[in-house]
Amino acid sequence: MVVVMTQPDLRVRDLSVRYGPVQAVSHVFLEAQCGQVTAVIGANGAGKSSLLRAIAGLVRPSGGEVHVGEDEITGGRPEEIVRAGVALVPEGRSTIPELTVTENLVLGALWHSRSQRGHTLVQVLDLFPALAERRHAHAATLSGGERQQLAIGRALMSKPKVLLLDEPSLGLAPMIVTQILELIQRLAEDTDLAVLLVEQNAVTALRVARRAVVLNLGRIVMTGTSEEIAADEQLRHAYLGY
Amino acid sequence: MVEFGSYLLGGVTSGIIYALLALALVLIYRSSGVVNFAQVGQATITCYIALTVQLRTGSWLLGLVTALIAGVLLGLIVQVFVLRPVRRSDPAGALIASFGVLIALQGVAGLVWSGEFRAFPQPFPDTPLVIGGAALPFSVYNLVTLIAAALLVVFLAWLFNRTDVGLAMRASAHNPEVARLSGVRVGRMIALGWGLAGLVGALAGVLVAPLTLLSPTSFNVLLVFAFTVAVVGGLESPVGAVAIGIFTGVVLSLVTGYTDATNTPLVALALLVISLILKPEGAFGHRATREV
Repeated sequence: MVVVMTQPDLRVRDLSVRYGPVQAVSHVFLEAQCGQVTAVIGANGAGKSSLLRAIAGLVRPSGGEVHVGEDEITGGRPEEIVRAGVALVPEGRSTIPELTVTENLVLGALWHSRSQRGHTLVQVLDLFPALAERRHAHAATLSGGERQQLAIGRALMSKPKVLLLDEPSLGLAPMIVTQILELIQRLAEDTDLAVLLVEQNAVTALRVARRAVVLNLGRIVMTGTSEEIAADEQLRHAYLGY
Repeated sequence: MVEFGSYLLGGVTSGIIYALLALALVLIYRSSGVVNFAQVGQATITCYIALTVQLRTGSWLLGLVTALIAGVLLGLIVQVFVLRPVRRSDPAGALIASFGVLIALQGVAGLVWSGEFRAFPQPFPDTPLVIGGAALPFSVYNLVTLIAAALLVVFLAWLFNRTDVGLAMRASAHNPEVARLSGVRVGRMIALGWGLAGLVGALAGVLVAPLTLLSPTSFNVLLVFAFTVAVVGGLESPVGAVAIGIFTGVVLSLVTGYTDATNTPLVALALLVISLILKPEGAFGHRATREV
């Protein structure tokens, strides 16, 4: 197989996160290359969410560096990091129920010009026809799957170079999960987006990811292609529970 | 019956004042989760500023405009220099700090303008308006209050529902984390909320001042009414603040008219207690989004 190497778009070097005495993430190194999905898998409490939240600026890393292309974003504020091209879709379908679908989407690109924003909105609504139909409805009235699409759509509105997805499958029907993840995979390939996908659901994540890292108790226990990780029976038993 | 009509309309006017002050409390509660007891202290200062400008220049309008600008600035200053640093440590601390600011502002007012009662000139006739020989049960002053409040409410509705800043402010109020992840500078939106509340409070102060004598503490009773209105209306609901404000104004005006003005704080307290027993989330509030 010929792999065309591009400049890695997100590089995490030696990243650590502490909450008081608890070390949630220890010395993590990883790369998410553009045009593909990179998965971070591991059991509940492995530090996956903390890793994403540290990259996005919601928690301050206690050590290490995060780079996007040539820019360092380590320890920046979330509102600046998203403007630098790294958008996080946090766990739990993070939409604002009191706002309409369109308002939720526009919120993701308020600092862009009106014309640019309008252009992106058309693209995002094309991507999610279910949202286009309900664009004037309040987000509170959407189904779980639609709300997850809305949360992803909001992140895409910022025209990110790197998309961070925290457990998008949580609480959704398997068929909807597959739909959403396949869409993300296509989007990464078509638009040269780097996607870092955090999932507890390893089978689903490995299906769409090119590469993956396995996290356990805040440390990386394995890095490799999805095929290599899926084939490692011992690893699966020890850390992924299937 | 004539009496009832005039109590009713007088009640609407004072109700609008309560509504504006309650609206200021709601704006801040929505953006930062704090009931800003300093609001009437801020309104007192801006009112003294309006009075000073008015006495120097002879222009009521110039006094009003200065008061509105001062209201915005004072709101920003209180948020950025007092509440923002306190907020990080403790939410209950913010409440106590706002009390502290109230007392400090009243102290400043006393130092600068003395503690004496001062008359605030009434630029609009407060006698029944006469059109075509018929005396109407409201005055030019009532009318100006109504129009000013209506304009302000329309402006706020436009700002919140039709502008980018408004959308960013609503998002920051509902879910600060999602707003920040979307690139909204939430800290600035909170400060802006305090600035807007300062504007609304300053307008309320200038409109109500001619009815009372101005002193550093003369607006304190308004805080009781505004707080009642804001809580009964649901604390997070601008519509609730306006509707309950006017309702409360009418009730208190009838109480004053048929019994005695000294009973009004008691009736306000009764309204508050009854409302909290019957509908703790407020008449226009949502149980799920309310935190106490």
